[in-house]
Amino acid sequence: MRLRSVWRVARWEAYDSGAGLDRRALTLAAVSVVALALLVPLAASVGPAPGDGLYRVGIAADSPYLAPAEAAPAFTVVAPDARAFAAGRLDLLVRGDRVQVQDTRLGRAAAGALQDAVRRYDERQLRSEPDQAAAFPVTVQLHYVSRPVDRLGGGAGSQPGGSTTGTAGGPTTSPASAGGPASRSTAAGGGAGTAAAGGTTASASRPPATATGGGTRSGENAGGLTVFGWSLFPQGAAGTPSAITPPFPFASLVLAFAFVVPMNFVVQAYASSVLHDRGNRRGEPLLVAPVSTWSLVVGKALPYFVLMLAIAAATAVGLGAGPLAVYAVAPVALVFLAGGFLAGLLARSHKELTFVLVAVSVVVTTFVFVPAIFVDVHPIAAISPLTLVVEDLQGTPVGPATVAFSTLPAFVAAAVCFGLGGGLYREEDLFAQKPLPAKALDALAAFVTRPARAGWASLLSIPFVFLAELLAVALLFVVPLGVALPLLFAAIAAIEELAKSLPAYAGFARGRFDRSRRTVALVGLASGVGFFAGEKLAATAQLVGLFDLHLGRIAFQLGAGVGGAYPPAVLAALLVAPLFLHVGTATLTAAGASRDRRWYLAALSVAILVHVGYNLAVVATLG
Amino acid sequence: MIVADGLRKVYGDVVAVAGASFRVEPGEIFGLIGPNGAGKTTTLKLLAGLVEPTAGSATVAGLDAADREMRRRLGYLPEESPLYEEMTARSYLRFFASLYDVDRETADERIERTLDRLDLAVRDRPLGNCSKGMRRKVAIARSLVNDPEVLVYDEPASGLDPITTNAIIEVIRELAADRTVVFSAHNLYHVEALCDRIAIVVNGELVTQGPLDAIRAEHGGVSYRVDTSRPVDGSTPVEPGRHRTVVASMADVEDVRAAVEAAAGELLDVRSHEPSLEEIFLAVAGA
Repeated sequence: MRLRSVWRVARWEAYDSGAGLDRRALTLAAVSVVALALLVPLAASVGPAPGDGLYRVGIAADSPYLAPAEAAPAFTVVAPDARAFAAGRLDLLVRGDRVQVQDTRLGRAAAGALQDAVRRYDERQLRSEPDQAAAFPVTVQLHYVSRPVDRLGGGAGSQPGGSTTGTAGGPTTSPASAGGPASRSTAAGGGAGTAAAGGTTASASRPPATATGGGTRSGENAGGLTVFGWSLFPQGAAGTPSAITPPFPFASLVLAFAFVVPMNFVVQAYASSVLHDRGNRRGEPLLVAPVSTWSLVVGKALPYFVLMLAIAAATAVGLGAGPLAVYAVAPVALVFLAGGFLAGLLARSHKELTFVLVAVSVVVTTFVFVPAIFVDVHPIAAISPLTLVVEDLQGTPVGPATVAFSTLPAFVAAAVCFGLGGGLYREEDLFAQKPLPAKALDALAAFVTRPARAGWASLLSIPFVFLAELLAVALLFVVPLGVALPLLFAAIAAIEELAKSLPAYAGFARGRFDRSRRTVALVGLASGVGFFAGEKLAATAQLVGLFDLHLGRIAFQLGAGVGGAYPPAVLAALLVAPLFLHVGTATLTAAGASRDRRWYLAALSVAILVHVGYNLAVVATLG
Repeated sequence: MIVADGLRKVYGDVVAVAGASFRVEPGEIFGLIGPNGAGKTTTLKLLAGLVEPTAGSATVAGLDAADREMRRRLGYLPEESPLYEEMTARSYLRFFASLYDVDRETADERIERTLDRLDLAVRDRPLGNCSKGMRRKVAIARSLVNDPEVLVYDEPASGLDPITTNAIIEVIRELAADRTVVFSAHNLYHVEALCDRIAIVVNGELVTQGPLDAIRAEHGGVSYRVDTSRPVDGSTPVEPGRHRTVVASMADVEDVRAAVEAAAGELLDVRSHEPSLEEIFLAVAGA
């Protein structure tokens, strides 16, 4: 692969080809996407306002409720009109401190909204008091400490995620009353309370959160998210203890969409370009040019990768993030592009391409998004590169091991996907109309030209196995342990047996291997050994504390066979047992694959059952 | 020069090319003809290094067909004209020139000269808005952008009007003066007119190859049609009072004369007949 060739292909792709778009359209598309990346955080800071003017309320000018209602966007305030109220044109009628509520769902909702508005109004009033000690006589300090947790949900043996210790000291809040707004104590709005909690973490090494008064402007929010001077999530808030809620990473939700959504558009353009080359054999002359396949593949992908990084950088700048955030998004971009590359190679039409890309997008977004929900709560969040973005935004120091853990699997997975696609980037596969499963097998078969390659294929499947198992752990994280464990055993077994057996099946199905017993044994041995060798990489999970998670410990020690204080003989057996398991089941599935598909599926089913049995035995041994 | 040695290509259960061996000398035009699906295109793709052979080898311009450097010396024209519709002829050809490491100045000069020779005036219109003939000319120009030693063309004039076809044939004739050319075609008139040597491909096999005269001689050579007034052994009725016998030599003509005169008839007409390439093709491909 020559850089000069890569550059030429990339330049042509960016300016002259661009999936069929001319320069003007490309420029317009690029500007639109970058603008979207800049505007999303701004829109998030302004917030959605779907409920503006939802409730019509008649309030007298001398009513104490007038000011709170006028300050709340949800209300349309008009003069009180008893006839209008009787006719149903008003949801609330307020005269003095008397509130009449329309007997409708909207009316009852309006009453609740008025209560919230009064509460918020009172809170603002109290915050503007010069004497804050008088306004908030009681302060509560939240200290999150780390402790072993299995899940956030309930269930036998479970613990809540983090605990709070309040310290009473200083002035107390004024008691709640049923009177007018001026005398009501305020509870922290959900957003403010959440944000305060969101600024804390579940680790004892991190600074404690304090639930004290604070403004909403960025200058006062160290570590808070600011967008163009507006704070998304104020760090300090005042309120009653009932308003304290566990940290909910709303920031992660917004970030996930802000970073990931533009990638869906870019990958669509890239995959379309790949498919475009296959249409009418347009790319055929490229295959005859003195340019390596990898120059073509990298050159075509490069402009889209650069665009994705540019958008991510613009988004990061808007959110006040640093280079770590952009680096963290890079593997996600590559995984998207790799998925788009394979989609473009495998799809037979643009309609099929759309479906395949939707599947790719859902999988990648789920992988990025689900673990990041637990940022600042649990180390399981380290699975997602997006967690690094959040932590960068919060100014939380991140160790190189965590960065590596969060990003390396995705980098490797992207490289493997591009490698598989590169195997299909030849005349015989680019322009052939085959079903998707057939092409997927072709991609594998292009690599497994001899039995030893089956071992390499198994080893290279480890990132995908790793990611799939991490995802299974993340998805089962909140399920009670009694249900989660069997499901996890079955999922792990299925994932691993599929990863080990598919290259062998592809080799036999495409005639790469002869069907002798000797070859079956060699393929099984290579596949099992390769998988065993790659599986040892799972020990890196320990670096980020996933072994603290009971479920994670089970998931990875089943294969790694390390950890725990056990007799040497047990340890040795646990270390070697996976090898026998993998070689045995891989040979079994290879034997099935050497016959036909039905035999392969039957052998695979048996292998999965054997694997599940092994998992149960290991867990029983480990206790 | 091109040397194909036992080239074989199998797709699954289908044998596309079954051991093709031939040699094309520098400055020679070699034609591949055969029925649809015979393996002509696959053979050309093997020469161009576009597909890997299942067995055998091919050497093009002194290098193995699988060698990427060989492609610098090769000009390949596929059966269709796959172009990027959003690009203009100039930008398209410049892009490919850059892939062949042709510097910009040389590329522009070569592109203009080639398009002039191909009589293509429309050079800055998106290729998607060009006619089939224009697109074919651009594809030919692309195959020449690197000034190759060897040209491998798959049905260069397929589906084009007679004027464009003739123009392309003339260009190929000129190019062949100092290049090695291999091409396939269905128009046997062009093959007869252009090629120094021909190979007939049937069901993946080269059933015959060589100069046209040699192929004619191999498959019957000159024949004689003898019309008689009365039937003789081996004759077929043409019309009332006329019967035709086809024989291979003048001696056989004399035998027919003797036979018809013995039957109280007479020799009406004798004509010699040289089989056309089409007749040979039909005879070989049909067999």
